[in-house]
Amino acid sequence: MRNRFDEQLEQLHVEIIKMGALCETAISAAAQCLQKEEKELQRQVFSTDAEIDEKEKEIESLCLRLLLHQQPVAGDLRRISAAMKMISDMERIGDQAADIAELAPYIVQKNLSGRVKIVDMARAAVGMVTDSVEAFVRSDLALAEKVIEEDDAVDALFDQIKEEIIEQIRRQDVDAKVSMDLLMAAKYLERIGDHAVNVAEWVQYSITGVHKSNEHHPDL
Amino acid sequence: MTKRIFSAIVGVSALVVALGMALVVGVLYGHFSGQLEKELEKEARYLAVAVENGGAEVLEALTGQQERITLIQEDGTVLYDNRASVGSMENHKDRKEFQDALKYGSGKDSRQSDTLSEQTVYYALRLKDNTVLRVSSTQYSVLSILYGLLQPIACVIVVLLVVAGLVASKASKKIVEPINRMDLDHPETTEAYDEVAPLLTKILHQKRTIREQLLEAKRRQEQFALITENMEEGLLVIDSKTELLSCNSSALRLLGGKRLPDPQSVLALNRSEPFRKAVETVLQGNHEILSIPLGGKVCRLIVNPVFREKEVTGAVLLLLDITEKTCREDLRREFTANVSHELKTPLTSISGFAEILRDGLVKTQDVERIGDRIFTEAQRLITLVNDVIKISQLDEGCIPYEKETVNLYRMGQEILERLQSEAEKADVTLHLEGGQAELVSVPSILEEILFNLCDNAVKYNRPGGSVTLSVKETEKGTEVLVTDTGIGIPASQRDRIFERFYRVDKSHSKEIGGTGLGLSIVKHGAAYLGAEISLESVEGSGSTFRLFWPDTAE
Repeated sequence: MRNRFDEQLEQLHVEIIKMGALCETAISAAAQCLQKEEKELQRQVFSTDAEIDEKEKEIESLCLRLLLHQQPVAGDLRRISAAMKMISDMERIGDQAADIAELAPYIVQKNLSGRVKIVDMARAAVGMVTDSVEAFVRSDLALAEKVIEEDDAVDALFDQIKEEIIEQIRRQDVDAKVSMDLLMAAKYLERIGDHAVNVAEWVQYSITGVHKSNEHHPDL
Repeated sequence: MTKRIFSAIVGVSALVVALGMALVVGVLYGHFSGQLEKELEKEARYLAVAVENGGAEVLEALTGQQERITLIQEDGTVLYDNRASVGSMENHKDRKEFQDALKYGSGKDSRQSDTLSEQTVYYALRLKDNTVLRVSSTQYSVLSILYGLLQPIACVIVVLLVVAGLVASKASKKIVEPINRMDLDHPETTEAYDEVAPLLTKILHQKRTIREQLLEAKRRQEQFALITENMEEGLLVIDSKTELLSCNSSALRLLGGKRLPDPQSVLALNRSEPFRKAVETVLQGNHEILSIPLGGKVCRLIVNPVFREKEVTGAVLLLLDITEKTCREDLRREFTANVSHELKTPLTSISGFAEILRDGLVKTQDVERIGDRIFTEAQRLITLVNDVIKISQLDEGCIPYEKETVNLYRMGQEILERLQSEAEKADVTLHLEGGQAELVSVPSILEEILFNLCDNAVKYNRPGGSVTLSVKETEKGTEVLVTDTGIGIPASQRDRIFERFYRVDKSHSKEIGGTGLGLSIVKHGAAYLGAEISLESVEGSGSTFRLFWPDTAE
C-alpha cells in the first residue's frame, strides 16, 4: 500500500516537472514571438497551452486520488496540496503565454518591440519561470528565494515600459491602438512573473511548511 | 527450543508422577483388600469354633468388636447381629455369601455401599448346626482413599513439579547453550552436537557460495562502473516511470544536472522539449536517434527501449557530444562554399577572356592586355589553391616539416625586403626593431605567418603610414609584434577576422587582393607552432598583432 503511495507521489513529481517544462516551452516561444513574426511559433504556443490545460486536469485528478485513497498526512499532504496550488499557477502562465502570442504579431508588425524593453522583460519572465520550475525539481530553497526577489526587477521593467508608452502616446509618434497591445503584453509578462513567484512560494511551502502569503498577494 | 525442551521435561515428569501415584494406589489397595479378607476369614473361623462350643450366647458376650458379626439361620432368618436389632433385619437367604456358605461351607462377597465411597467385605461360614456365621468389615474404596489423600498428594505433586521445573529449566538451558554458542560466521571452528554438524557444513558451503557470488557481483558492478564512468558518452538507464536507475558522470555533465537524492526522474536532470519528447517516444517502445541542443552543446541522443515480455520496462539513453563535429561540419560546409565561390570568380574571367579570344573578337593590340588579365587571374587561382593546400595541411596537422633553430631577426629582414617594392607602391615605410632572437620552429610556417601579418599591415595601411616588425626575447619567452598605422579593425569584428574568407571590408576585397585565407593560416600556423596570438587595435589608427612563444613551450 505504502509502496504504491510512494510510486504515485513520484509520478506526481514527474508530472509536475513535465507541466513546468511545458510552461517553459510556452513562455519562451511566446517571448520569441515578440521578436519576430512566425506563425509556426505562435501555433506552438497555442498547442502547448492546450497541453498545459490537459496536464492540469490530469495532475488534479491524480492529487485528488492520492488524497482520497491514501489520506496522506504531514509532509506528504503538504506536497500534494502545494502541487494542487502550483498547477493552477502554471496553468495561468500557459494561458498568459498564449495571450502574449496572440498579441505579438501586431506588436512585431509595427516594430514596437525594439523601442521599449519588452524583450528584456520577456527574458526576465522566462528566467523566473525556468528558475521556479528548477527550484521545484531540485527542491532548492535558495533558488525559490531568488525567484521571489527577481519579481521586483520585472515589476520595475513594467513600470518603465508603461512610462515609455505614455510618453510615446503623448508625443503622438506611435499608433495608440498597438501601444495598448504592447501594454497588455507587458502586463501579461508582469503577471507571469507573479505566477512564477507563487510557484516558488509553494515550493518553499512544500519544503518548510511555511507560506509567505502575507508578503505577496497571489491572484489565484 | 529451550521452551520446548523445558515443557517436554516437565511433561514427562508430571506423567511419571501421575502414573507412579496410580500404580502405588492400585497395588496397595489390592494388597490391603487381600489382607482384610484373610483377617475376616481368620476371625470367622475362630468365632465359629466359639459358637459351636458355646452357642450363640458367646457372641453376645463379645464387646469391642470392630467387625460386624451376624448369625443367620438356615432359612435366612437373622438370629444375631451385633450392630443392629434382629427384628428389623430382613431375610438373608438371597445373599451370595450366605448361599455359597450353605452350599460349599464358606462364602465371600463384597458390595459397594450406596455412597460408593465404602465397600463392605463379607465372609460367611457354615456351622455344624447349619446356621451360618457371617463376619463383615467395611473398607474405603479406591476413590475415597484417593479423595482423602488429595491434599497430601497435591502437595507432593506440586513439590515434584516445582523441582521438575527447576531441573528442566537448567537442563534445557544446558542443552541449548552449545547451539547458542555456535559461531555461524565461522561454522568450521564450531564444536557443537554431532546432529547439527551437517547443518553447519551446509551453512559453511552456502557461505562460501554467497561470498563468491557477492565478489562476482561486485566485480561486475565495478567493471560496469569503470566502463561507464570512463566513457566520453553519457549513458542513462531509466525505468518505465522515467526514474533514473543508472547514470554516468558524462551524462550528468552533458545534461547539466546535479545528482539528486534517489530516486529521481530523468526529467529532473533535463526537461528541455526535445529531450522530453525523446523520453516519451522511447517509453512507447520506439527506437530513435536525434540531435538535440543541450546547454550550448549539440548532442546526439540515441534512445533504445528495453523490453521484457513484450512490455517496455525501461530504456537506455546514450548521449554523444557532437558539438565539435557539428561545428566542423558547418565550417567545412562554409569553407567549401567559399572556396568554390573564390575559385569560380577568376575561372569565369579566364573562361570569358578565352571565349572572346577564340571567337576572334579581340583586336591585336588588346591581346597582350587580355593575356595579362588571364595571367593575373590564373596567378590568383594558383595562390588561392596554394593557400587552401597550406590551410588543409595545417588543419590535418600532418605537415612533414622538421623543426630547426630560426633566427627571427634575420627572417624579419628577409620578409621586409620582399615587401619593400609593394610598400613603396603603397607609400608605406617598413621598420624592423628589436634584437637577435632565436627560436626552434618550422621555418616555412613561421615565415608564412610573419609574411602574412606584414603583408596585411602594408595592404591595410594608409599612404604615409608605417609598419613596424619588432622581435624581442623577453624573460618569459619570445615575442614578435607587427604594428601598423592603418585602418584598424572594428571591435565587433576582431573575433571573426581569423575565420576563413572573412573580410572586414567586403566591398574592397577585390582591390586589395589576397585570398581571405591569410589570417586563417596565421591562426592555424601559430597554433601549430605553439604560439599565442593576440590583437590590439584602435579603429582608424592601427593594429598590433602579437605573437608570443612562452619559454616552456620551446
